Amino acid sequence: MIQGSQALVVRDLRKKYPGTEALKGIDLTLPKGEICGLLGPNGSGKSTLLKCVIGLLQADSGTIEIFGQKPSRHTKAQIAFVPEIDNLYRWMTVQETIDFISTFYEDWEPQRVPDLLDFMRLEPEKRVSSLSKGMRARLKLILTLARTAPLVLLDEPFSGIDPSSRDRIVEGIVREFKSEEQTMIISTHAVGDTEQLFDSVVFLDEGTVNLQGNAEDLRVRYRKSINDLFKEVFA
Amino acid sequence: MSKFLRLLRKDLEASRWPLGILSGLILLFMLFVRYKISAGWALESAIITVALPLMFFVPWFVWQSFQTLRSEWKEDTVYTLLVLPVPGWYITLAKLVGLFVEYTILLAVTLGGASLILGRVFLEFTPTAPIAWIIRNGLIVYLISLGILASVVIFIQLAFVVSKMVGRFQGLVALWVLILTNWLVGQMGMLLEPVFRWVPPIPLERVFRLDQVGLELQRFDYHLAPKIGTWLGTILLFILTAWLMERYVEIND
Repeated sequence: MIQGSQALVVRDLRKKYPGTEALKGIDLTLPKGEICGLLGPNGSGKSTLLKCVIGLLQADSGTIEIFGQKPSRHTKAQIAFVPEIDNLYRWMTVQETIDFISTFYEDWEPQRVPDLLDFMRLEPEKRVSSLSKGMRARLKLILTLARTAPLVLLDEPFSGIDPSSRDRIVEGIVREFKSEEQTMIISTHAVGDTEQLFDSVVFLDEGTVNLQGNAEDLRVRYRKSINDLFKEVFA
Repeated sequence: MSKFLRLLRKDLEASRWPLGILSGLILLFMLFVRYKISAGWALESAIITVALPLMFFVPWFVWQSFQTLRSEWKEDTVYTLLVLPVPGWYITLAKLVGLFVEYTILLAVTLGGASLILGRVFLEFTPTAPIAWIIRNGLIVYLISLGILASVVIFIQLAFVVSKMVGRFQGLVALWVLILTNWLVGQMGMLLEPVFRWVPPIPLERVFRLDQVGLELQRFDYHLAPKIGTWLGTILLFILTAWLMERYVEIND
């Protein structure tokens, strides 16, 4: 059961790796129904934060609440996570990958799959190993968008992929995101033309929150686009 | 249950190529032995040679126990596996059962291939043992070997998972965990032996019905009491691995 009015609450989150402090006391509150841009250069702690939320990393201190619950097996069922890394089984076909993932989630909507495959221009019988990086990124997005997961975490979904795949992914997110049921965090270090997606943004720099707020408010306050603001903050 | 079966199916599908190639090689080996027999090899030599693939099973399954987990990390699919909303033991048990199936298939290929290709040799070698006796005892030995395989897999899984919880010297850590857990489980067996002394020993000569093949052993007991503690210890290690896998293993590039 989904509790609370906030999708995600992070308080004083800290995480150290040998020789470096990746998160230095992050505080973050994300209301339900928003698409939040988690923005920052490489090494700013974006992936670490998302991995702590999904449970792939354990924070050294601080708390995370996902719909009022601590990260656990039960919150994993409420989160659709797309890592930056290629996490697909290369020996599976597109259809086998979809069948495999669909088994584990009750919010999986099989009727959306044919339409998503068509929209993302992927052939079900193709082997994952034969897909380009952009196609694999599109497949990963299908695995996310075929669910109605209350919290969606996309870690660098546009990183290193061709412009046409990027456009498809942006279009797919706009088309399939259900603001009344879902909340989404998209981490990226290349804001560019994706800033139209964000309701709110969080600027992360060297493990600390540099700036955060409603995207439109920030545009008005600073009289700049989020992209220009990003360039200025991380110049 | 369907989630567990899906994980098991995935593990079995992932191993179909090595399994197919290995089965083919075993059958080729049998054909080679058959050819050598027709060229004049002694039957005893042929029987010993046919058993060679069985000896190869030991290093193969030690490697496979490690490899089934290692490949998930190496190919980054662990990112998929560890975000699935399933208990950790689904993942480790699916890999364990997958190895049981692999072992059973390879054993069937070896014994089935040997029976088909070298059937006559077997019949000449075991003229006094009834087929029912061979099948019955074969099944008992098979079940015992599954138990041994399970404990090997459990020890290796724990060593691998713990090694992934440290940043450096992972191989060394895995080796130390293997040594330490073996010692701990042995100690547990010794400590709990008095508690389970009431468990009667198993008379192996009766279990294997050795009298049916003319072997007259007076008493050949297998004492369970010192073993029960080690079995319990191994089960605890399995639970520990699953718990670490679900709660404490960290994945980072």
